[in-house]
Amino acid sequence: MKDITQELKQLDKDILAFIQKSIAHDDEKGFNDLAMRAFELQFEHIPLYRRYCQRREITPQEISSWDQIPPLPTDVFKEAVFSLLPDQIARTFTTSGTSNIKEQGNVSYDEGGLNLMDATIRTAASEMLFPDGVRPMILVLAPPPEIAPQMVMVYGMNRLIEYFGLPQSRFLIEEIGFDIKSLIDALRTAEKEGVPVAICGGSFGFVNFFDYCINKGIEFHLPAGSRCLDAGGFKGRSREVGREEFLDLCKGILGVQRGFCVNLLGMTEISSQYYDNTLKNHLQGLNTQRAKSIPPWARVQVVDPDSLEPLPEGETGLLRHFDLANRGHICAIQTDDLGSIVPGGFEVYGRARDDGSRGCSLSIDEMTRIIEDGS
Amino acid sequence: MKTVDANGYYFPPDFRYPISYTTKTYKHEDVTVHLKIPPATPDLVAALAEHLKKNREKHLSRMPIERIVAVLDKASRLWLDKDYPYRRLALQTIPVITGFSSEAVEASIDVEMETSLEHDMWQALRSEIQNPLYLDDFQYSDELDGYRRAFGPELVVSFFSENIPSLPHLLFMRSALVKAACLGKVASGEPTFAALYLKTIEDIDPDMAGCMAVLYWQGGDEEVERAAFNHADAAVIFGSIETCSSILKRIPNTVKALVHGHKMGFGVIGKNRMHHKDAEDLAVGVAYDHAMFDQQACLAPQVYYLEEGGEISPGEFARILADAMSSMEEKMPRGRLSAGEAALIHQSRGRYEIKELSGEAVQLMTSVYGTAWTIVCEKSPGRFSPSPLNRFVRLWRVKDISQVIRELKPVGPFLQNAAVAVGDEREPDFLRELGELGVARITSPGNMPVPSMMWHHDGIATLAALLRWCDVEKMMKSEYRTRNYECRVNA
Repeated sequence: MKDITQELKQLDKDILAFIQKSIAHDDEKGFNDLAMRAFELQFEHIPLYRRYCQRREITPQEISSWDQIPPLPTDVFKEAVFSLLPDQIARTFTTSGTSNIKEQGNVSYDEGGLNLMDATIRTAASEMLFPDGVRPMILVLAPPPEIAPQMVMVYGMNRLIEYFGLPQSRFLIEEIGFDIKSLIDALRTAEKEGVPVAICGGSFGFVNFFDYCINKGIEFHLPAGSRCLDAGGFKGRSREVGREEFLDLCKGILGVQRGFCVNLLGMTEISSQYYDNTLKNHLQGLNTQRAKSIPPWARVQVVDPDSLEPLPEGETGLLRHFDLANRGHICAIQTDDLGSIVPGGFEVYGRARDDGSRGCSLSIDEMTRIIEDGS
Repeated sequence: MKTVDANGYYFPPDFRYPISYTTKTYKHEDVTVHLKIPPATPDLVAALAEHLKKNREKHLSRMPIERIVAVLDKASRLWLDKDYPYRRLALQTIPVITGFSSEAVEASIDVEMETSLEHDMWQALRSEIQNPLYLDDFQYSDELDGYRRAFGPELVVSFFSENIPSLPHLLFMRSALVKAACLGKVASGEPTFAALYLKTIEDIDPDMAGCMAVLYWQGGDEEVERAAFNHADAAVIFGSIETCSSILKRIPNTVKALVHGHKMGFGVIGKNRMHHKDAEDLAVGVAYDHAMFDQQACLAPQVYYLEEGGEISPGEFARILADAMSSMEEKMPRGRLSAGEAALIHQSRGRYEIKELSGEAVQLMTSVYGTAWTIVCEKSPGRFSPSPLNRFVRLWRVKDISQVIRELKPVGPFLQNAAVAVGDEREPDFLRELGELGVARITSPGNMPVPSMMWHHDGIATLAALLRWCDVEKMMKSEYRTRNYECRVNA
């Protein structure tokens, strides 16, 4: 196996330049070249992935397009480490979802890979979350990196604070739990001082906060330029809330207009983040359908759940991602999220596997719930 | 484009109640099914329950058991006739609604009805209550040295939360055999079979059909369910562990409740059955166990344990099984899956493939296209975990069959059906241990999906458990003997 340092350095430089170019460029050939270069390296230096591809009779020599690169299902990260530089791992993030350690996936990054992730965070957020150049107080409904270093969302939020936040920005979940009082104080201060706020965190954290406020009769009128960034689902951690109700709550309780509410799809297995185009479109005076915007350094396909063949625009299937910033592990990732391609990007409808079992045989999810309830 | 109209309910012929029906539409390929559903309200359920009880008092409670068995037998025989119009209708609607292939629905109707004949019912009655005539009147009992009679409930409310076709008919049969009226709450997954089955009963014996009804409502509708329970004296609940425990909390103490929570089956093949001679037959049986109901029934195996050290290795058996799964797919194709079910199979395959590629002793074999079938052969992980189902076969290698008992112990309460082929002197002890573990039925590979009507479903004597006995003892014998009861049924 030849040394990859030089080649990798050059590839990182080129991908970085591609990411930093902007969120709006469209260079299919440039993307495809970088994708193929990343695939070649991953094929050559990640033996497990190479064997996976060979079994499908795919080698870098035999294909010419990124969409022929074999995607790995997300769950395989629960079985093995896929890393281009396994002896230079700087960070490992774990997938959430269950308390069973054996059922957690691990996704590892080397320094170069982390740099690429940082670049995606900076470029995407500057154009999708802060296109107006506002520098807000960022309040994160999540634990700080010291408490949760393994959560990729926490890592990303920390970068947001570093790149875009005022000094008083902070994380609001401590070891003992959600510091609601501190959040309320911060919001009141912001109101008084006219400092715009960006509240960021899991969607369920917002709902729990809203329910608390409703209960206590608390309302805010956050200064102009304030915004909400929420990610993820509810799954038993708060009540289930539809998007419309969520937006009404942001307006009613925080005083944040719906045009300033952005939903984000992020996954441990994927370095990049997919933002709603709401804020960007709102500021440009566009009134288009809400969609998750696909940055130029990523591609999203929707595939048939059974055959895994790509589906035409508008049809619902499983989301498949191709992310250049994943060059440190695997660029092509098959998820079990349901979604569809829509004008302006794609939409995600949640995990396909949440639809329950049909028969009378004990199911995996049922068993997991029983065990978790009992523990 | 073909359009089929079906009913997602059944009311007795003489039931009158003002209802504005709604229609639910299902489409698959070129068939559209319009399903007519009455919205269930507490008032409707209460009126229906009272109506069923009144009819039961008038008809079913006075019907000789012999006539009841004859009606049910005739219904089963009609359904076994491939040209029977209701069967043909069911074969049009159920595949569209449930996603099962029509071959699979056809097979499940045959399996259920072939074990629901006259002979099976008499056997089941004798197995559980000795003399079926106890249901008709007081009979002399030697053991008691007196007379005894069995009374069924007035009204059984049955909850079917699953989509296994033809499971609901079993509950109507069991209720009728104990002369109880029955109100069945069908699942949104498969609401048509029960309604058609009761139409059959109506055609044969409208009086009996007058004591039966089928209705759909969204599970957990507490007001509707309260109305049902308040008018019933027995309840039979099928559903997930959580659904069952939530419903159980709401059933009044006066209502006798039988609960069938989700369960699981498994198979065990000992080394002395792992030989070339009958590997192919065995594989066909194992394939059938997984293919029937697409492995969604609690009868289906979630894992087959294979003991090492036989003439053929578990790996060789897996290859033979792959052929059997493949030809099973041709004969009785797997049904359509939801996106989540298909995704789960792909993700699980991915994990096993990575294990295999990492050099672990794991074998993965799959259908050429899509998710039709999957076989994984690996060393038993030592701890049970559920299968992704839908014809996802897991063969777990064990050094010794005694390992199986230890490994399944933690999931004892969920065990139901076991296919066992040990083939040597260890078998009797092994069966005893399985029984102690919690298994409710033991059979041979290839027979997992076809229990007799006599089996104790989930370990419950399903007929006897619904009965209340009245004993007459220590009375002047002459007073009773004069009535001269005699056994009209040739037991």
